[in-house]
Amino acid sequence: MERFIADLVKNYESGKVDRREFCKTVALAATVYAAGDAAKAQAPRGLKMIGINHISYTCPDYAKARDWYASVLGMEKTAGKDNGQRANLMFGPEPGKGGSFVVARTATRPANPRPPAQSVVDHVCYTISNWNDARVEAGLKATGRPYTARSGNVNVLDPFNYPVQLANIEQENPWI
Amino acid sequence: MEGFVAAKLDEFDRGKISRRRLIETLTLAATAVYATDRATAAESPPLKVALVNHISYSCPNFRQAGDWYSKVFNLDQVGLKDTEVTLPFGKMGEQPYNVTAKDVPLTFQICRALDRPQNPRTSGRPKPDAVIDHIGYTVADFNRERVKADLIAMGVKNVRDGGLYSLHMDDPFGFDVQISGLENNALTDG
Repeated sequence: MERFIADLVKNYESGKVDRREFCKTVALAATVYAAGDAAKAQAPRGLKMIGINHISYTCPDYAKARDWYASVLGMEKTAGKDNGQRANLMFGPEPGKGGSFVVARTATRPANPRPPAQSVVDHVCYTISNWNDARVEAGLKATGRPYTARSGNVNVLDPFNYPVQLANIEQENPWI
Repeated sequence: MEGFVAAKLDEFDRGKISRRRLIETLTLAATAVYATDRATAAESPPLKVALVNHISYSCPNFRQAGDWYSKVFNLDQVGLKDTEVTLPFGKMGEQPYNVTAKDVPLTFQICRALDRPQNPRTSGRPKPDAVIDHIGYTVADFNRERVKADLIAMGVKNVRDGGLYSLHMDDPFGFDVQISGLENNALTDG
C-alpha cells in the first residue's frame, strides 16, 4: 500500500497525475487500505474464490435501475461513484472486505464492440437474511412490479423486466 | 475532502511536510470520511439483500461451462442434472467470506443448458431490456501478473488487463469474465 501511494506521489511530482486525480486516488486507496485485511490465505493451488465482486448491469436508463435496486433491494449508492452514466450499488460485507456491488450502466455504443456472447446470465438470485414472507411480499407489492411468490422464494421483474429472484437459505442452497 | 487533500498537497509542494507525513495524513483523513459516510447512510429499506445467492448462467453446453468455471476458479460441481450443474463457491459448511449471519449460504453459479424446457413459473415473461454484460469474481491473494500467466497457461482466451486491480477474460462462450482481488470494490471501481 505504501508503495502504491508512494508511486502516486511520484507520478504527481512528474506531472503524470494531476492534482484532482491524485486527491481522488489517494482517498480511494486509503479507504481500501483502512478497510482491508485482505484475504491472506493462499489457495492450495490455483485460485480461491471469495465471491461475486460485481454484476455489470446495462440498461436504457441507469438512474432508474439505480433507484430501484437501492429502494427495493436496499443496496447502497456509493458516494462519488455516480457519473451520470453509471453508479455503483453496494451490498453485503463492506467494500474491500468481500462486499459486492451492482454496476448500473446506461447502454452506450462501445468504442471496441465485442462479438456477442453465446451465453447469458438469465437471472440473479439474492439472499435475504431473516426472511419473513409477509415482509418480503409487502416490499415487492409496494414496487408495483410483477412478481410471483412462494414461501422463502420470490421472483420479480425489475424496471427493465430483468428477472430478479430473492430467496432464503432453505429455498436456495447448493446442497439442498 | 478534496479541499483538505489539496491543502496538504500544497504543504508537500512547499516542503512543509514530508512525503511520509503526506501519506499518513491523507490515509487517516480518507478513512474518517468514509466511516462518517457509512454511519450516516440512509435508513433501512424494507428489504435488504445480504449477498448474491446464485447466478443463473445459460449456454449452449452447460457441462463445458461447468468444467471451465471449475478449472479456472477451483470450484466443485454438485447437483448434476440433465440440463444443469451447480458450482458452490466453497465447501459444504463454510460461511461466505466475512458474513456472520448463519442464514446466508455460500454463493453458487448454476450452469444451465440454453435449450432446457421452460420453467412454467417463469414462462411468458417479457424480454428484458437490460443485460448483464459481465460478472466480476473476487479471489483471494490476487496477483495480476501471476494470475494472468496461470490463465494463459490454462488456455483461457482473451486475457487482458482491466483497470488497476483486475483482469478480464472470455469464457468458452465469449462471455466477459472479470477477476480481481478485494482491492477492486465499489469504492475503487469506476
